[in-house]
Amino acid sequence: MVGGRIGADGIHGATFSSAPLDEAAPVQAVQIGDPITQKRMFDFLLEVREAGLYTAITDNGAGGLSSSVGEMAEGSGGARLDLTNAPLKYPGLAPWEILVSEAQERMTLAVPPENLEPLLELARRREVEATDLGQFTDDGYFEVLHDGRTVALLSMEFLHEGDPDLELTATWEPPSFEEPADRAVDIEAALPAMLARLNLCSGETKARHYDHEVKGLSVIKPFIGVGQDIPADATVSLARHGSLRGFVLSEGINPFLSDLDTRAMAMTVVDEALRRQLCAGARLDRIAMLDNFCWPDPVRSAETPDGEYKMAQLVRACRGLRDAVIAYGTPLVSGKDSMKNDSTRGGVKISVPPTLLVSAIGQIDDVRRSRTLEPKAGGDLVYLIGKTADELGGSEFYRYLGESDGRTAAANEPQPYVGTGPPGVDPGRLLPLYRAFERASDAGLLRSAATPSLGGWGPLFARCVMASGLGLDLDLGEAAGRAELDLQRFLFSESNGRFLVTVRERDRERFEAVFDGLPVLRVGTVDAEPRLQLTTDERTYRWDADALRRSFKETLADD
Amino acid sequence: MIEALNEFEKRTADEKIARRREVRVLILTGLGLNCEAETAAAFRLVGARPEQVHLLDLLDGADGPRLSDYRVLAFIGGFAFGDHLGAGFVFANKIRHRLYDQLLEFIEAGGLALGICNGFQTMVRLGLLPGLDGDYRTPRAALAPNDRLGYRDAWVRLAFDEASPCVWTRGLRQLELPARHGEGKFLAESDELLERLERAGQVVARYVDGTGAPTETWPHNPNGSPRGVAGVCDPSGRLFGLMPHPDAYLYPFHHPRWERAQANGDLPAEGAGLRIFRNGVDYAAALNAP
Repeated sequence: MVGGRIGADGIHGATFSSAPLDEAAPVQAVQIGDPITQKRMFDFLLEVREAGLYTAITDNGAGGLSSSVGEMAEGSGGARLDLTNAPLKYPGLAPWEILVSEAQERMTLAVPPENLEPLLELARRREVEATDLGQFTDDGYFEVLHDGRTVALLSMEFLHEGDPDLELTATWEPPSFEEPADRAVDIEAALPAMLARLNLCSGETKARHYDHEVKGLSVIKPFIGVGQDIPADATVSLARHGSLRGFVLSEGINPFLSDLDTRAMAMTVVDEALRRQLCAGARLDRIAMLDNFCWPDPVRSAETPDGEYKMAQLVRACRGLRDAVIAYGTPLVSGKDSMKNDSTRGGVKISVPPTLLVSAIGQIDDVRRSRTLEPKAGGDLVYLIGKTADELGGSEFYRYLGESDGRTAAANEPQPYVGTGPPGVDPGRLLPLYRAFERASDAGLLRSAATPSLGGWGPLFARCVMASGLGLDLDLGEAAGRAELDLQRFLFSESNGRFLVTVRERDRERFEAVFDGLPVLRVGTVDAEPRLQLTTDERTYRWDADALRRSFKETLADD
Repeated sequence: MIEALNEFEKRTADEKIARRREVRVLILTGLGLNCEAETAAAFRLVGARPEQVHLLDLLDGADGPRLSDYRVLAFIGGFAFGDHLGAGFVFANKIRHRLYDQLLEFIEAGGLALGICNGFQTMVRLGLLPGLDGDYRTPRAALAPNDRLGYRDAWVRLAFDEASPCVWTRGLRQLELPARHGEGKFLAESDELLERLERAGQVVARYVDGTGAPTETWPHNPNGSPRGVAGVCDPSGRLFGLMPHPDAYLYPFHHPRWERAQANGDLPAEGAGLRIFRNGVDYAAALNAP
């Protein structure tokens, strides 16, 4: 074992991460982190890895040594773990506490006997603690010793297969919400108000508290544009110094859609993470994903009478996730789940909305070909790619409408004005579009690329204007007409599978040829003036970039 | 010294490459420092021979590497020992108690040192900077917590004192670099001392606003440093430390506006932060001339 010492902190951490924490919870349920110990351990591990001194490595996370050694022992067929010399923060821990403590910054290594002394010697030189805690065996048993006494002896088969699978019931009954009354809002005021909403406003002042440039590999940073204050759709980094190859990181998250259907929610977040990848320049065939579930308790009980519905939400999310990543060919290479995010306060139980964060990592062969959402020059052509449908169910615009009407949600209830019909994802229909997008990208035809998420086209147009210090002059009459939507529904629908790109005038024919037969429409040009100008058959709306920026940044201003 | 540099400039490209390659650079690593990869890349890109050495291996003495084997010493960015007792404090004490004689010999012999961020904090804690009157042991300044908002990662603009003796910044007028720190407010022990540093050209780099004027105002000045002080050298100009990171602007596409510059056709050929490293390495290469 390498790294920090074992203490009472984190005993039962795994149990409590899935249980409500209140003032009666044991203080040890929470692990106490120490970044400097972790950093020194990481540096040491890199050195011993380069020297080839260990053959396997596992983090001491949930369950501590019991889990790390227990899992690694599957490789050899058993382990004899001696806790006698385990380094402790203080005396007084019982053997079982040493075994299950989740004290942080510890890794378990499998080290061939001949490498043990060199590894321990390097650890001494680096002032990192490393301790020999026994052997991996092949006798079929997980044995734990303390002070010469066997304190646990379990067959490997029982340890790994002994726990019978739970059988739980899931019942899916599609929820029903009413569509809010169709009323025209003042679009002039609605767009800045949307930008100022907590879900859409600038989080820059918070994000800059984190170092996003250490190691000197950052290429597209989290905030971009003339003021470096507009969130990038994705970030791009070099893989290492001395090469131009890089990787793209992006995310998709939208818990609001779970009120309607977790299947649509899961497919939407996969599609969003994927679209962000494509915008930045990642190769479609070199993208992998991670799934992070943050879920309410889905097991029916006295505290959770709606457990069967919540379980059905989980099943539908998993199926949607599976269907989307298989269709897109973006394997889930890792993930994590936290399943009991509920709390009862003052007699009221509050559960998180079913939330799935999908993170994507993609490859780019040459980082100099990566791109942001920022339009580059006045006179460039603006195209909208993909279909906008009447998909405002669970949208940010409906929440805005609800709040404008003075409606508030009770604790644990969906936000007012959920509406009906979440955005759909049809990978079979979208993939040809994405392949064409990639061809246009490879041919160097895309000067900027952006994809709408929460809030739809309206906030995206605003971000492009604020980022560039240029303007967008768009005639949306035909686009809204094709979608059979009025301007406000066109601007704020959250349909998937869409992009905004800018293209040089001289590339017009080549660009349009790539997308021949696909839903692409030229809607206007990049304007030299820093403003957003939207024209319909009836009238023209105009917003000054500075005014948009004020709305975007005032909500979480740092003072 | 200017003569030696002029001589160096006159050499053929091949001779320059050969001389730069003889410049061994010691990059101290470990214990929570985290900018070793980019600092090594920077010195490699300008033709020198960077070597990463764990501080504990250097302190070890015995058969390990010795400071006198190197021409340039780099104190890099990071959070040595977690900065628990103040930025750079424990790291500086380790050096003070176990390496000081070697370090003073290194300086005496004409060695160069560059401190970036946590490295600058360490050099100030040690007294290497501002290093007045040949005294490299007595701390005369401190890098205090930022006036507002704590740690922050954002690009700033620096202007350089062109009359400074600093060998690392020759020919530099302005540079954009990211500031990434929570303790960067340079406080000299007295106003007189700060004035003396300014007169001697030891205030090498200052934060400037959009008009190019030195500023104490956030966000152009990220920490509230009086008179905008961002970087300081010793009287010889060979020891230099600054808070912002030249090691984070090695490639043209490190700059936050590179993509627009590329679209406009005015992307530079290399990252502007490299000039600081090239200046130092060329100086060391010129000094070594036969």
